[in-house]
Amino acid sequence: MEERIRRIYVPMTETGFYILFCLQTPQHGYGISRQVSAMTGNAVTIGPGTMYGTLAKMEKDGLIAVHSEEEKRKLYQITELGREILRLEITRIERLYRNSRGESIDE
Amino acid sequence: MSSMKIRFFTIADYEEEEIWLREQHRNGLRLVNTIIPCFYFFEKCTPEDVVYRLDYKNNMQNGDYMQMAQDFGWEYFHSCMGWLYFRKPVSEMGSGREEEIFSDGASKVEMIRHIVRTRMLPILIVFLCCVLPNAWHFLEGNPMFSGKFEFVLGMFYYVMLVLYLYLIIRCGRKLKKLQKRYEGEMPYRN
Repeated sequence: MEERIRRIYVPMTETGFYILFCLQTPQHGYGISRQVSAMTGNAVTIGPGTMYGTLAKMEKDGLIAVHSEEEKRKLYQITELGREILRLEITRIERLYRNSRGESIDE
Repeated sequence: MSSMKIRFFTIADYEEEEIWLREQHRNGLRLVNTIIPCFYFFEKCTPEDVVYRLDYKNNMQNGDYMQMAQDFGWEYFHSCMGWLYFRKPVSEMGSGREEEIFSDGASKVEMIRHIVRTRMLPILIVFLCCVLPNAWHFLEGNPMFSGKFEFVLGMFYYVMLVLYLYLIIRCGRKLKKLQKRYEGEMPYRN
């Protein structure tokens, strides 16, 4: 993995994380937004400007790719590089969570 | 019935523009068109509380964005000089942050950077390479501005110098201030 990509995306914003996480199954922008609102109990909502910008950036960086097109809407899906980034991010968040509970991580 | 209003907003005043357009709509005037630098054309409508939002894409967007905005309940109705105009009635909003097209600080900072890269930088280059040297020669009394036509040209450069200086300083400071505020809205940079 390019160091540049890693530096940009780890750690990532909440928006970025949820979008990448949701794209483990192919979806369009509005679908992602609804899923994120539902899974976080509306604690995280994503607006269309942020959604479009983040999807465009992630596609350019190769984290996601267009899966198909449905009624003028592009469906995106995570790529192998995206999965790698997501794994790194999940490991980081798990560490944060465990440390926050007072646990230490043994190597 | 339509009406025209004259109002000048710089590239850094989009938030003020949004508020102003919302006020107009509340007074029964919905925006239909704009012509640079300062002409706004409205159409009479039923007064309503409608939120206006602007996004700077510098014509880099494609149809996907309009479709997506529509899915989110935003009407895309106009573009001008790289800016996209969206609106959404308050009555159609649920709870949460539906009033915003940008839901986090990071994407707003990204927009500011885009404005700086594609607008401020070219303006600065034109200023440094063309306006400033020419206005300087003119103020110095350089013989290249001795004729009548040349004098008018020199005056033009001088006016441009003042205008450019004003815009660069004003917009530069405002954009910096906005960026700082947006950075405060993000947990960490992306």
